[in-house]
Amino acid sequence: MFKKLIDKSAAKSPWLFHLNTGSCNGCDIEIVACLTPRYDAERFGFKLAGSPRHADILVVSGPITVQSRDRLIRTIEQTPDPKCVVSIGSCPKSGNVFKGSYGIDGPLDKYVHVDVSVAGCTPKPEAIMEGLYKAALILEKKREAMHK
Amino acid sequence: MTILRYLFYILVFPGALFTIAVGLFMAGIDRKVIAHMQKRVGPPLRQPMYDFFKLLGKETIIPAKANRAAFLAAPVLSFVSLCFIMLFIPIFGFTAINGAADMIVILYLVTIPGAALIIGGASSGSPFASIGISREMVTMMAYELPFVLVLLTVAKKVGGDQLVFNLSLVSDYQAVNGSLLSHWSMIPAALAMLLVIPAEVGTQPFDVAEAENEICEGPLVEYSGSPLALFKLSINMKMIIMTGLFTSMFLGGIRTGFVALDALLFVIICIAVMLVSITTIHAVTARLKIEHLFKFYWTVVAGLALVSTILVWIGM
Repeated sequence: MFKKLIDKSAAKSPWLFHLNTGSCNGCDIEIVACLTPRYDAERFGFKLAGSPRHADILVVSGPITVQSRDRLIRTIEQTPDPKCVVSIGSCPKSGNVFKGSYGIDGPLDKYVHVDVSVAGCTPKPEAIMEGLYKAALILEKKREAMHK
Repeated sequence: MTILRYLFYILVFPGALFTIAVGLFMAGIDRKVIAHMQKRVGPPLRQPMYDFFKLLGKETIIPAKANRAAFLAAPVLSFVSLCFIMLFIPIFGFTAINGAADMIVILYLVTIPGAALIIGGASSGSPFASIGISREMVTMMAYELPFVLVLLTVAKKVGGDQLVFNLSLVSDYQAVNGSLLSHWSMIPAALAMLLVIPAEVGTQPFDVAEAENEICEGPLVEYSGSPLALFKLSINMKMIIMTGLFTSMFLGGIRTGFVALDALLFVIICIAVMLVSITTIHAVTARLKIEHLFKFYWTVVAGLALVSTILVWIGM
């Protein structure tokens, strides 16, 4: 009865869980900037969730350090379906300047399928917003695929 | 016929459907007004509805350490108890169930969602949840004392010689003598009640139990999918229930003769009360510590309520 409404709602209320896997804090500040009154991500329904169990979109920033690898895998497993993974910045995608370091075990798509990746070091808040919005649209498609 | 009528009461008009629809709408207004106060555009008014339906469509994960039965029963318990409270609150002239002591029933029913949160958090087996439930217990103890004092004051004011715990009689009294807020001895009690509402609903300065950024929403940390949707819905339903209780105790007495018109006026007044007691306080304050919350309720708020109680008891 409510199938259509539930599918539509998946795109309208994406909650974010922000996961820092060894980021230099630059991308994290830009993510927070998206939620401030200047950019106001809440107008699309984005909300920062406290627990991965409440999240729809996992926002990953930073090259995957060896220390954070197991936590990354556990957090991804704890997030209920349908979920999206968004990588912020160049680090999770390629390792950036940390590539080849003994402490890095990236890139992110070794562990999980990355739905949207926002490039840049650091990406602008506008770019992050666009990436998150695209992820929200992917969420709706994933939700539709769940009852097929 | 009587059974059908009561089913209608419970499922549609003052019960489940009405409370859910108005609760979600009020939560939308709350978020929009806060956004405007912070110079943001804010989410659309339908946002709480989208949140609810999205959570219904999510996968429900039950942690391996959790007690499955209690974990799943707690949100249902919270939701069902909230569906029933609205039956006892008079919508101006109209009351679905007219009990002899409905204030006492309401006092017990509004603690059930808090207790359900404690049960759910305790059965989830998460250390964040155990911190959350201890804070929830302290919060409940903190606001319960001023809440009981306010109810006592209203009962004494309306009853005169004996205590009247019947909300329909409170409503009738206000239709004759003007709303209780216009009696000056009741103003401290009304202020105390306005401060009890945000703690009961669990919004900004008093949301120590569900603090997202320190303890990951406390008791709700392990919930996902439809149980989480029910808990989030309960918070929205509490908004209409607590502001409705305030409206019927302090701003009652309006009689238009039509239930639909009464209900519309009731919702408008409830939204006005919410804007004062929940939204404004939320927008201008930061979260308290649990010991400050407890101290604040047992000194300032209980003090306000006590002033009113004494004034009413000496016949003012």
